[in-house]
Amino acid sequence: MEMNSVFEGLKIMLLGMGTVFAFLIVMIVMMNIMSKIIHRFFPEPNDVENNVTPVQKNNAKKIAAITAAIIHHRSK
Amino acid sequence: MKSIVLKFLALMVVSFSLHASDAHVAAVDEERAASSTHKEETYQPKSLSEMTAGFFASTGINAILNPDPNEVNAHGEAMSDFHKSWGRVVMILVTFLLFYLAIAKGYEPLLLLPIAFGGLLANIPVANIAGPHGFLGVIYNMGLANEMFPIIIFMGVGAMTDFGPLLSNPKTALLGGAAQFGIFGTLVGAVALSQYTDVFDFTLQQASAISIIGGADGPTSIFIATKLAPELLGAIAVASYSYMALVPIIQPPIMKALTTKAERQIKMSTLRHVSRLEKLVFPIMVLSLAILILPDSTPLIGAFMFGNFLKESGVVERLNDTLQNALINIVTIFLGLGVGSKLAADQFLVVDTLAILILGLIAFSVGTAAGVIMAKIMNLFPGTKVNPLIGSAGVSAVPMAARVSNKVGMEYDRSNMLLMHAMGPNVAGVIGSAVAAGVMISIFG
Repeated sequence: MEMNSVFEGLKIMLLGMGTVFAFLIVMIVMMNIMSKIIHRFFPEPNDVENNVTPVQKNNAKKIAAITAAIIHHRSK
Repeated sequence: MKSIVLKFLALMVVSFSLHASDAHVAAVDEERAASSTHKEETYQPKSLSEMTAGFFASTGINAILNPDPNEVNAHGEAMSDFHKSWGRVVMILVTFLLFYLAIAKGYEPLLLLPIAFGGLLANIPVANIAGPHGFLGVIYNMGLANEMFPIIIFMGVGAMTDFGPLLSNPKTALLGGAAQFGIFGTLVGAVALSQYTDVFDFTLQQASAISIIGGADGPTSIFIATKLAPELLGAIAVASYSYMALVPIIQPPIMKALTTKAERQIKMSTLRHVSRLEKLVFPIMVLSLAILILPDSTPLIGAFMFGNFLKESGVVERLNDTLQNALINIVTIFLGLGVGSKLAADQFLVVDTLAILILGLIAFSVGTAAGVIMAKIMNLFPGTKVNPLIGSAGVSAVPMAARVSNKVGMEYDRSNMLLMHAMGPNVAGVIGSAVAAGVMISIFG
């Protein structure tokens, strides 16, 4: 039992750090692959819509209102 | 009325000087034992002096001055006289110190306050609140003995976590891995010291449970401690949360000692935008990895990613809100009280506690150093440079450690904002600690 438990501790350390790093390295590789795929095939359609549509809608409404006002003004 | 008070005082004096109450104490204890087993007993009329003496025998003053020789602790084991009498007083004073730290110093009050108050209640003599039938004992058995509460806390933490910074700079996850060296390095140190010196004597399981403090992740520490060394839970939880609160004091000296001024001023490029789909896929991806590599870590990682997935899905706002607020608050109250029940004098006032506090601090410091050194190693390779100050955020302690990285960076360059860059290693540290915990579970079963 003398040297045993320190050796056990060292073995756990090797296994533990090895597993943590293996896990995170695979995770990093997967993250890079994932972001490449997503940017290639799903290039932010929702973001574009979300950010632009309200502005566009508002603009469209404003344009309609202004146009209507101009037409109304001219038709006088 | 006056005469009753006088009689009572006189009786107190008599019982102090002669221990005359011992006989009564025994009688009262028999009655207590009888009443707890619900044995039918007819009530015998007593004289006023008998009644008063009997009442005095059940006061806390008497319990502290003349500890009951037959009293057992929450595990049904005999205790030393010190742990039954003055040890309790010492522990109650310790909980007062924790109150002070939580309220005046602002050390993690959300957990330290319930823990400290639980400790105060657990050290009350006679009432046995932390015993199997006391309400603290019930809370402990309800969610700590079966590791339920830490898991629910993990769900809430997952719902609060934003993986955006990590996704925009994935390689910083390595810093969160390096910081876990604090756990395993301390494990080896604790085992070696137990083996070759007489300072303390921890088994491999106990050493593992103590060194997990280096992960700087409260729920993980509690989860592992209840699994591997429940007898050390109180000290481990208190050490874990105290050091998390002390992050702004412990980390900066280590960070400054290991870096040069030029390194501390490294500017990092702004983070790229992360799409919503990436954030949605990420929790499922990490959980899939955990399933393939280390199923033992899936209780923690699964709960964590469940919370995060609910948040990122964007369609269950109510559930996300409950996880982040109501549920995590409720469970925090119970978790704190349950951990506090382990602050009973007979479990906390032992030499081991001091060793745990010291080893925990070492684990924490080594983790911080390992993260910083890892960043320096990464800078030896070609590619974009990493500011080593964000390495220290690899210990979990979200978001405190990231704030510390930011603060130290600002000291050397007012315009250097490291907060978001440090959040990457910070959340990776949570995943790293969960993996480290999974390794321990897989080894010790």
